[in-house]
Amino acid sequence: MRNSRKFSKRMLREAGQGYTFMFPVIFTLGLFVIGPILYAIYLSFNDVQLLGGTSYEFVGLENFKEIFSDYRAQVSLKNTIFYVAIVVPSQTILALVLAATLNAGLKGQKFFRIVYFLPTLTSSAVLTLIFMWMYNQNGLINQLLKIVGLPTYNWIGDPAIALKAIMIMNIWATAPFFMVIYLAALQDIPESLYEAAELDGANAIQKFWFITVPYLKPVTSFVVIMGIIGTFQLFDQSYIFSGGDGGPNNSTLTVVLLIYQYAFKSLGTMGYAAALAIALAIVIFVATIIQRKFDKEESLY
Amino acid sequence: MKAKKWVSTLSITAIVFSSVLVGCSSNDKNSSDDGEKVEITLSGWGGNPSEKKLLQQTLDDFEEKHPNIDVKLDIISDQYMDVMKTRLIGGEAADVFYLDAFEAPGLIKTGVLEPLNEYVTDEFDIEDFEKPMLEAFKKDETYYGFPKDYSTLALFYNKKMFEEAGISEPPKTWEELRQVSKQLTDGTDRFGFGVAPELARLQYIAESDGGDVVKEGKANFATEPVIDALQPIVDQHLEDKTLAEPSEVGASWGGEMFGQGKAAMVIEGNWAIPYLEDTFPELEYGTAEVPQINGKQSTMAYTVAYVMNKQSEHKEAAWELISYLTGKEGMETWTSKGFALPTRKSVAEKLGYDEDPLRSALVAGAPYATVWQDSPNLPIITNNFNNQFISAYLGERPLDEALKDAQKQANKEIKKN
Repeated sequence: MRNSRKFSKRMLREAGQGYTFMFPVIFTLGLFVIGPILYAIYLSFNDVQLLGGTSYEFVGLENFKEIFSDYRAQVSLKNTIFYVAIVVPSQTILALVLAATLNAGLKGQKFFRIVYFLPTLTSSAVLTLIFMWMYNQNGLINQLLKIVGLPTYNWIGDPAIALKAIMIMNIWATAPFFMVIYLAALQDIPESLYEAAELDGANAIQKFWFITVPYLKPVTSFVVIMGIIGTFQLFDQSYIFSGGDGGPNNSTLTVVLLIYQYAFKSLGTMGYAAALAIALAIVIFVATIIQRKFDKEESLY
Repeated sequence: MKAKKWVSTLSITAIVFSSVLVGCSSNDKNSSDDGEKVEITLSGWGGNPSEKKLLQQTLDDFEEKHPNIDVKLDIISDQYMDVMKTRLIGGEAADVFYLDAFEAPGLIKTGVLEPLNEYVTDEFDIEDFEKPMLEAFKKDETYYGFPKDYSTLALFYNKKMFEEAGISEPPKTWEELRQVSKQLTDGTDRFGFGVAPELARLQYIAESDGGDVVKEGKANFATEPVIDALQPIVDQHLEDKTLAEPSEVGASWGGEMFGQGKAAMVIEGNWAIPYLEDTFPELEYGTAEVPQINGKQSTMAYTVAYVMNKQSEHKEAAWELISYLTGKEGMETWTSKGFALPTRKSVAEKLGYDEDPLRSALVAGAPYATVWQDSPNLPIITNNFNNQFISAYLGERPLDEALKDAQKQANKEIKKN
């Protein structure tokens, strides 16, 4: 009885009104976000032939099973995890340090704030092309190394170096973005905490380590999660770097690049590509959960 | 009151929304029943500006002769095959488009290309084409496209460096090449020989010992004859240190490496000639046929055809365009400036490329060239070969081991298809 009274005519009408207003958004989101996701899940369970008479053949978990015996999938996952493990901590620490220096009240810090932020404003494709010039065998970076007397590298062509070259580039390009987030959070730290610490005789490093860092913890956790998601999806840089093949010797092959190759380069492997994409989503999901878990434990303490 | 409001909300939303949708669907098919004029689209990748001008000129000539056909040129400047495949799936592809021989078997297999046999007339003179290029677009006696142009590979050598080193003639055999490379190398500033370590450039070498890179649609390059044939390239890089790939000297491809004087010899195709003319006009160089391996002449050939979309609504007009562009007249205009070599023997003769000092070596290679094409699985095979060959080339592991891994992976991916 109560239930039926709850959905009175008037309430239904109001709900209808609400949904009508929301309809454009629901429709667009459904068409461009939720629809493709469901379609990708559907594809991952099928053997798909798109070109010349579209055909789907249900194969169950076959596509997912294949991932485990696919050498290139393993290499790409290994590359990606290595990449994430280096880039996320480095860019987070770098962002924090940059933000802290900019917040220290030095002269000309507004100017440096702009300069530091510039890489983030540039499109990653353009950045990659510029870096490829600098990484050239006779390019800027090797010339500088030569002047300082350090060994030079074939940054683009050497399988042992290529991925590291992309890492350096990406850390440099993404850190400023997170720096801005840190900078905003730093303004929120009450001055009184530092004063109290000073009275207790804390030096600058102690203040940074025992006040700034703990205070920024929620922001750090946001930065790390965004970093993990972003780096797991590395595509454009390694695509441009290797000309699309993930070479040399599969060293710049990332999971997303592999998905792209299976989806568009070879015919008839769209279903497998969709399965890889879903597997990647699961990996990212798990990595984020682990990160959250760590965070919780620390905050208890 | 409330009900009225509800209705008005609904109607406003509907109006706003439908106007959005109308904006999206402006794709009325122009059926051209009343007007005689039909418009057909031609998709291709761009070239340099003078090439584009030349193509436009050829198309203008065609439109003049066929006043009822309008040709819309659509240039896809990057990721051509990805864009083309996506459009074919969506039913939005051009009526006529370029197709590289490398991709042809895969696309023919899917059945998206129109078989052209019934359109061909005697006048079109199919016998006039260079045979290897024509066969590249044929399957079971059915033609799916006609080659618009091609290039083979030839040895480009720097005349000045040869003179300084006291070498009078370009090498005739691979052993000679390795020998003179030593004389021409100058530390790490200048290498005797520049090579791109890719299957597309190495297939003829790989198969020179009688091996097959691809056998029955599967990767077969980890076999002894292929490994033995490729070993000298690796050795020349690692032991002699007289061979380098472009990225080792900071160049992006062989032509650039050669033009900058960082390699005394490279093996490149016709495309390098206009490039060197534009970018390094001072360079004195000559071309020669690719050195013999085991006493046999061999080289690669790369060719591109015009093909027709099976879903085209103006097939007659599309054929008119193809037959003009690959016909004697259109091909003569298109290849007149030497950006590409004509696939018709009669046109090559008329334009005198077999006598051209730089291009004769390329033309001479046409009859014995290996066309860069194989089964539909070649893209997979190439990708895996290139990726692993480089590790052997850099000396990280033995060639046979690298190729065995690459072959295993390639065949696993092929089974997936």
